[in-house]
Amino acid sequence: MRILIIEDEQALREQLQRQLTAKGYSVDAAADGEDGRFLGREYPFDLAIIDLGLPKMSGIEVIRKLRTDGREFPILILTARGNWQDKVEGLEAGADDYLVKPFHIEELLARLNALLRRSVGLTVPVLECGPITLDTAAQSVSLAGEALTLTAYEYRVLEYLMLHQGKVVSKTVLTEHIYDQDFDRDSNVLEVFVGRLRRKLDPDGTLQPIETLRGQGYRFRLERNQSE
Amino acid sequence: MTPSIHLRMTLAASFVLAAFLGISAYALDKAFRDSVEEGFKNRLQGHIYALLGAAETDNSGGMRFPEDLPDPRFSNPDSGLYAGILGPGGRYQWHSPSLLGREEISYSQPLAPGVKRFQRNDGLYLLGFGLGWVDNAGREQSYTVVVAESTAGMEAEVGGFRLTLFLWLGGAALLLLLVQGVTLRWGLSPLRRAARDLKRIQAGKAEFLGGSYPSELRGLTNNVNALISHGRANQTRYRNRLGDLAHSLKTPLAVLQGAADGNDADDLLRAVREQVPRMNEIVQYQLQRAAAAGKTDVARAIPVAPAVRKLTAALEKVYRDKGVLCGAEVPEGARFFGDEGDLLEVLGNLLENAFKYCRSRVRVTVEASASAGEDRPLVGIVIEDDGEGIPEPEREQVLRRGARRDQQLPGQGIGLSVVDEIVRLYQGTLEIGESDLGGARVSVRW
Repeated sequence: MRILIIEDEQALREQLQRQLTAKGYSVDAAADGEDGRFLGREYPFDLAIIDLGLPKMSGIEVIRKLRTDGREFPILILTARGNWQDKVEGLEAGADDYLVKPFHIEELLARLNALLRRSVGLTVPVLECGPITLDTAAQSVSLAGEALTLTAYEYRVLEYLMLHQGKVVSKTVLTEHIYDQDFDRDSNVLEVFVGRLRRKLDPDGTLQPIETLRGQGYRFRLERNQSE
Repeated sequence: MTPSIHLRMTLAASFVLAAFLGISAYALDKAFRDSVEEGFKNRLQGHIYALLGAAETDNSGGMRFPEDLPDPRFSNPDSGLYAGILGPGGRYQWHSPSLLGREEISYSQPLAPGVKRFQRNDGLYLLGFGLGWVDNAGREQSYTVVVAESTAGMEAEVGGFRLTLFLWLGGAALLLLLVQGVTLRWGLSPLRRAARDLKRIQAGKAEFLGGSYPSELRGLTNNVNALISHGRANQTRYRNRLGDLAHSLKTPLAVLQGAADGNDADDLLRAVREQVPRMNEIVQYQLQRAAAAGKTDVARAIPVAPAVRKLTAALEKVYRDKGVLCGAEVPEGARFFGDEGDLLEVLGNLLENAFKYCRSRVRVTVEASASAGEDRPLVGIVIEDDGEGIPEPEREQVLRRGARRDQQLPGQGIGLSVVDEIVRLYQGTLEIGESDLGGARVSVRW
């Protein structure tokens, strides 16, 4: 999942970038409204975190412009003032949720998860496909009730594929949503991740949850369980 | 620069006064002149008839005048009253002895019988009268009788009248200007007094605009007084808030200081984890309390329905996953007389709590005063949900500053106490009860 942070306060921006990267998100950050709007328009983000008080272009303005440009990823507002006038204005401009500064990182992660889930049409945090269960809130995966140990990147790859279950996801799209813009696109690191995921999810090779479509990309094959 | 009211009124009144006096002077002068002229005309007419009455007939039946003329002035040379006859064909026939030594009366041309003409010439008023005179031969001869009188007498009369007129009108103008000046000073004195009082307030010598003002100014002075007292109340409030903030931060600071002095890393970490959220809460609470504007006497009327719509739309977006059913009953004419930010804060905090704690239903009921029309003052707001509700013993506590009912869902304690604070600024009351929906029912009356 690729996240855009637009926050002018350097300490907070770097802290968020560090914490979200550690959680396996790929993060791009901008320090002012204009940069943020440019990034938001040019790259395929899954979510944006936007501070309301920004230099050059206000957060409200950025949100409005992104929505006018047709960008539909969820937007979370950060506001220091916390009064309703600001919150309502932000939500009216096209944001989806707000968080008042200061906040706990757990609170932010919970909101991010809820927004990301909602953006792919999921109402519950847990996704079950066959024996594989993915908990987007706890960011954990289990196979037939047994918890699996995945690295943050492996988890992100699996989460993206499972959220887009049944659809072909090209390597470029997957790379763009898993890594930030500085990543070396030519490396075959993605294939390594998918290979490791297959071994962990399907040790005896009977389930085949992830298909490779030659020249097109990957597809998560298992259907969602109906019990949800 | 805008001219002062005093200058404007003085200029306007002086202009009107000058125009009025000028026009009346002209009209009176003209009327007097006309009437004097009319008198002259009548007199000249009389002289003509008298002359004609004295006219005699000569041998051939033509007109001739006796030595003894009806007015002795006709006989005295240079007396100022003259007469002459133009005979048939415009020939000059006769003139009165008074014209001796003067040139003959220059009267333009003979007139047809029955025609009268009045004119002014060389300091003389002339009246010509044409008449037909039948001679012995039975032929009609046409004559023109001209009588003239010097204008000197009339000029003297008119001059005298003018002098009197100008003296009186000038006197009246002076008097009126004086009265006008006094009236203006008297009429504008309350404004000057208000300015003086405001200066005294600025200098700290007075608290309010005191004394009684005329009814036209009372609205203004009352509003100024209201603004002053509102400003003063705000100042006191800010001062108190600042004091509250500083004092309430001292305790967590003391705890942190103690932990820092203790040289125990775990202790310090625990203290930071405990005290930072507490400090955050204190800052947030005091900030929101200080931001509330409170009641003013010069408040705008804020429509309530759009505020409710905006907030419920925003919250429905945020709580989309929960699928909250929000019913709002807001009369369209309902108005809140106060600060828009305060209204949004009260509605926003109460609605957010309802959305957060409800199972699936939220109900907003706004009551406006029964008076019909556009601006119906807001009376009460009731917000209900179908959640757990707030148990009786905790109701007092959630209104107290910084109190937290539930650690899992932060914000509730602060939200309600901020609402309570704002409502109290408007001399309103906040009540927590049970809703027939099953959850909490928070009602605000103001």
